[in-house]
Amino acid sequence: MAPNYLDNWRTFVADYLGQVNIGADDMRRLGVDVGGTHTDLVLVDDATGEIVLNKLPTSVGDPSVATVEGALELCAKAGIGLADVGYFMHGTTVATNIVLERNGARVGMLTTEGFRDIIHIARHKRPYNFSIQQDLPWQKHPLVRRRDRLTVPERIGAPGGDVLRPLDEEAVRTAARRLRGSGVEAVAIGFMFSFLNPAHERRAAEIVREELPEVFLSVSHEVIPQYREYERFTTTCLNAYIGPKTGRYLNNLADALRRNGLETELHLMQSAGGSATVQGAVRRPVTLLMSGPVAGLIGGIWIGRQAGFPSVITLDVGGTSADIGVAPDGGMRVKHLLDTRIGDYQAMVPMADVDTIGAGGGSIAFLDAGGVFRVGPRSAGAQPGPACYGRGGTEPTSTDCQLVLGRLNPGNFLGGRTRLDTAAARAAIARALCGPLRMGLEEAALGAIRILTHSMVQAIELNSVRKGYDPRDFALVAFGGGGPLFACDIARELSIPTVIVPPNPGLTSALGLLATDTAYDFSRTELARASRLDPAVLAAHYADLEEQAAAQLRADGIAPAAMVFQRVADCRYVGQGYEIRTVVPDGAVDVGTGPAIVSAFHAAHQREFGRHFTDKDVEIVNIRVVGIGRNVPLRLRELPHGDGRVSPVAMRDVAWETADGGWVWMPTPVYDRTTLRCGDILPGPAVVEQPDSTFPLPPGLSASVDRHGSLIVDLRNTAEKPS
Amino acid sequence: MIDPVLAARLDRHFGAGKWRADLGVEDALGGAPRVKATVSAAGRSETVTVDYRADGAASTLQAAGGRAIGICAEALLRDGSPSAGGVEDYAYDRIDPVTLRVLGGAFNAVAGEMAHVLYRMSYSSIIRESEDLGCGIFDVNGRELCESQNSPMHIGSLPFYIRGFMQRLAGDIHEGDVIIHNHPYFGSSHTPDMCVAVPIFHDGTLIGFAASTAHLLDVGGAAPGINVDVVDIFAEAKLFNAIKLYERGRRNEQVWQFYRDNVRTPEMNCSDIEAMIAAVNQGRDRFLRLVDRYGLAVVMGAANYWMDYSERRLRREIERIPDGEYRAEGWLDDDGKNWGKRLKVVVTVRVSGSDLEIDLTGSAEQTPTAFNVPFEGGLLVACYYIVRTLLLDEAEQDDFVPQNDGMFRPVKVTAPRGSIFNPTFPRACTSRFAQLQRVIDLFIQALAPVLPHKATGGNSASVMAISYSGFDEAARQYWMCVEVNEGSYGARSTKDGLDSVDNLLANTRNVPIEEIEMHYPLRGERYELRPDPPAAGKWRGGIGVVRANRFLVDGYISCSGDRHFEAPAGVFGGHDGLPGAMARNPGQADMEIWPSKVTGRRMAAGDLVQFVGPSGGGYGPPVERDPGLVLADWEDDLLTLEMARDVYRVVIDPAKGAVDTAATARLRADAAT
Repeated sequence: MAPNYLDNWRTFVADYLGQVNIGADDMRRLGVDVGGTHTDLVLVDDATGEIVLNKLPTSVGDPSVATVEGALELCAKAGIGLADVGYFMHGTTVATNIVLERNGARVGMLTTEGFRDIIHIARHKRPYNFSIQQDLPWQKHPLVRRRDRLTVPERIGAPGGDVLRPLDEEAVRTAARRLRGSGVEAVAIGFMFSFLNPAHERRAAEIVREELPEVFLSVSHEVIPQYREYERFTTTCLNAYIGPKTGRYLNNLADALRRNGLETELHLMQSAGGSATVQGAVRRPVTLLMSGPVAGLIGGIWIGRQAGFPSVITLDVGGTSADIGVAPDGGMRVKHLLDTRIGDYQAMVPMADVDTIGAGGGSIAFLDAGGVFRVGPRSAGAQPGPACYGRGGTEPTSTDCQLVLGRLNPGNFLGGRTRLDTAAARAAIARALCGPLRMGLEEAALGAIRILTHSMVQAIELNSVRKGYDPRDFALVAFGGGGPLFACDIARELSIPTVIVPPNPGLTSALGLLATDTAYDFSRTELARASRLDPAVLAAHYADLEEQAAAQLRADGIAPAAMVFQRVADCRYVGQGYEIRTVVPDGAVDVGTGPAIVSAFHAAHQREFGRHFTDKDVEIVNIRVVGIGRNVPLRLRELPHGDGRVSPVAMRDVAWETADGGWVWMPTPVYDRTTLRCGDILPGPAVVEQPDSTFPLPPGLSASVDRHGSLIVDLRNTAEKPS
Repeated sequence: MIDPVLAARLDRHFGAGKWRADLGVEDALGGAPRVKATVSAAGRSETVTVDYRADGAASTLQAAGGRAIGICAEALLRDGSPSAGGVEDYAYDRIDPVTLRVLGGAFNAVAGEMAHVLYRMSYSSIIRESEDLGCGIFDVNGRELCESQNSPMHIGSLPFYIRGFMQRLAGDIHEGDVIIHNHPYFGSSHTPDMCVAVPIFHDGTLIGFAASTAHLLDVGGAAPGINVDVVDIFAEAKLFNAIKLYERGRRNEQVWQFYRDNVRTPEMNCSDIEAMIAAVNQGRDRFLRLVDRYGLAVVMGAANYWMDYSERRLRREIERIPDGEYRAEGWLDDDGKNWGKRLKVVVTVRVSGSDLEIDLTGSAEQTPTAFNVPFEGGLLVACYYIVRTLLLDEAEQDDFVPQNDGMFRPVKVTAPRGSIFNPTFPRACTSRFAQLQRVIDLFIQALAPVLPHKATGGNSASVMAISYSGFDEAARQYWMCVEVNEGSYGARSTKDGLDSVDNLLANTRNVPIEEIEMHYPLRGERYELRPDPPAAGKWRGGIGVVRANRFLVDGYISCSGDRHFEAPAGVFGGHDGLPGAMARNPGQADMEIWPSKVTGRRMAAGDLVQFVGPSGGGYGPPVERDPGLVLADWEDDLLTLEMARDVYRVVIDPAKGAVDTAATARLRADAAT
């Protein structure tokens, strides 16, 4: 079957059905997702489909400690040793946190004479329009300080890449020595137009290597060989900034795992999905910046596919934020390279199109200075936490509101590890909301939930409707501890017909780590009109990129039979400045390739902007090859069939929203997730409890349990909210 | 008083002489005077009263009167086919707070999406890279429900465009119309900022407009690109006053053809207009989805609520300023023709309770060039901008206060007719940014004594727009690249000024050098901080930029800027900043020092032009600056050891790379005595 997992805006999320078998069906695979609060681990036995889970607090100082400890615990649970693990995949926020906490390396930079301050000026646009008191993050916290940004005479010309001014090698050497004197740990090299001709950058890198053999080196044409000097330079500097520390962490972790018996290589989840080896990630740590959220997206896509719903919207709600992804036909969309940023910095590297918004269990509900009812993005976090945690929090949070509405069980939250104080939640809501808004308790709590729900709805709309995707064609996969709490409300709001709650909502991201292939993205700026393409040149360039990708996959130990290459061209109408990722057909690159690219681009433009222009010439800006190494498909073990009879473990009163925007308290059965069997059907209203999450099922809906244990809610043809 | 086209339509509809229009002025007690218009025909009559915000001079009275008559005529001409009322007619007291919040967010999302479509789809670098554009949704009277956060110069100008084109089109708006408009004496910001608007109909009723403005490359003026030294409005651009590109869904090919034939960059402009059409269609569709979902009354009621909300927030801040009159003045370089003739700007701020007036009386007379400011689309926008920015600084608010019509209500603006801020037809007026920036900067200086923590040192308060162009003989067409150069900020009460960034009313993005050279026969040779030390102060001023570009072929250059003479002011003991400069072939035998405005100069292949941006003023005495910050600036090659010692009284040991604390203390003690 021909590989066909890529159309416009989509990339390579694993489509395993009917795919090649790389011959290791009995492999045990381990995924570790290290988050801010918890380290989640999943072990999958491909032979049996058995899955073993583990969750422990993240070790704050050095996250590798909990990773190793958790992995050993997990193996012990499964009765194996680390040596029996055939594939080890890691999702990490280490690189992200260095950026957010601003504790990266001291970096030196070499750049073209006359352009010392490109990363200081940025795009000369300030974040806020209506402000004279704002800071410019890139000036207040520069990745490289001006004293460490040194210029050397050299210049490459456009558009041919000719040498206009030869590289002054002595100046490079002098600058390198000066940086050595300053004690930099990393050096970034960014020369103008190096994407057209990298000779000067290459030579400068050699000289720096001679003078400072120990430093981390980040060279712009290697990090991201694309045009736009600010974005390329700042990405290169960011790579240098996080390089030494990320490298140390990854090497330490790999060593520690090896010492404890791991024989296979450690793999890392990249920002656009796909895995990289430690070696690759150490060189380009900038590709790890979205390593965390992307695993959730992939996990959600995979869960959807298992349940028979390829097109999914994923909702991963944690304590402070919600990650939202839209995946049409199971394909993950990749952000445009002008929209990819981390914290305050632009990072021109492929990133999955996951939106993070400040809406989670800890989001605080309050009245602003103008008397408007708002929820989030400020969060009570884990400390002091929601008022109901009883750890000193006094402001009402989303969790407090869910609790007073009866949706959370005060005695069985996080598996009973945290007792919730309902009276404290009530008092906080009454004080902060009910009084000033002249609202009752339920009205205020429901109002806060509606506002939070709406911000998630808006984020989904921005990523679906705006891109031409109709939410009615999707299933909503809700996970993370908080996702299931909002799932049915969001689905109703957007007319999404199906809600899926995975078997272990809190461990879906870790599972996602094992549902991805190894993948690398190699690109170059091409700039050619599609109508004047020289097929021979294009074929040679694609072949070159494919060879680079193949070499990297070979280095990862991937068999040729398991390699797949996808060609992409970033295109625009001549004169436009914004490219759209366009699929290039497989097979020989010949005279038919240009017209095929053009028609694919027209279709993509129509979808993105609602218009296209067949009379205008199309231009290719960048070409890229995504090299994929197929991994073994992940299989879940199936649940035994139940007899259809489910019995609640308890009854409690829960407030449900009514059709007129009010609410009604209803006695509601409570179910224990672990007792559910395939084929069981739960009528709403119901609350399903499990250690890592709670799922409220409103009246009028019903949920069925599928063969892998996911809860499926069909919202079509069901009654509206109770009246 | 009545637009001739509108008069002709009334004649056609009711018969010549079978209708009458009356106009009167109502002096509202304690408030701004209002214009009352009545139009009667066929036994019916329509009356409307509108605000006008100027000083009562005839030109603005005329504009307000024309607008009022247009509204009445529209109602009569519609002949029963309904138009919804203005947004202020919709109550919100019965809308629940959650829906209000939801719709508030939705309005912003709609505007943001429109802008996204426009800058992602557009062609010219000034739109797609610089984002010199604005998009929003407006009610039938042009009241702003929401507007995208792109360049502030655009935000708040669209209402005047809409009222401008409605003077001619009232009653003649149909589903499927696409309107373009750029006439500065009918509300436009300046001629290159073209407006594209579509009406929004719901159940056959006109409920408002989706509109956008964007800066188009060449507009068919006397010289390619920017035109400062021109005799009148007809020499600066082709004028479009309420012209329909589509009428009831049918494309008006003749207008497109006329347009193509009369600008130097037809492909770029027409493609950009196509992108604007896509953006406004998107805005219309998204807004209609809200109306379908929540109902017109709720959507409009929520919009009304958010306007009142923004007004309330702004009034509360104005009330905190002591009542009184505050004043500052400065000088602009020249008008782009009469070199050496400085032009005075006088800003008087009057605060009374929660009302604030900005009075430009005393400023220079209108100029004989295009260095004049359209009153509505230019001056009002700048005044609304700075009142909100100074008092409700976005970076200092926990919550989002939307920019909408409510922000405009507490602010009254006065400029005498015939002055540089309120020119009379047919004066050219395309070059207006520098004057507006100075109004803003002087407004801050005027209020600095009473708002020391909100004020800044003097800002660069200019924008240097440069158009590079030439005729490509092989392609038989012009190439053109418009560059908006950045400025810098004055120092603040607790921090340094921002370096090399778009200042105040400007907030565009630069065009990457690697983008320019792939498409245009230009070469960038320098783009970095200017080498001169920043203005000294307890907090130092921001540093301007130096940028140099070389022509690789023969071509033309025009530019529009200011501030080559008067430096941004230091405040509270801070030093003054530095003025900007412009030169051709600096350091060469044929070097020319240029003024801040040139029009259509020829450049030979190999010629280089260098722009140096002004540096902002300092805040507080330099001797109070933290010595560690002085050391850091020295390490970053921003100042010399001598300057550290003489100006800041900080002694740096260059060998150790450290402050000599004891010597510094002695020096500072000496300075104090």
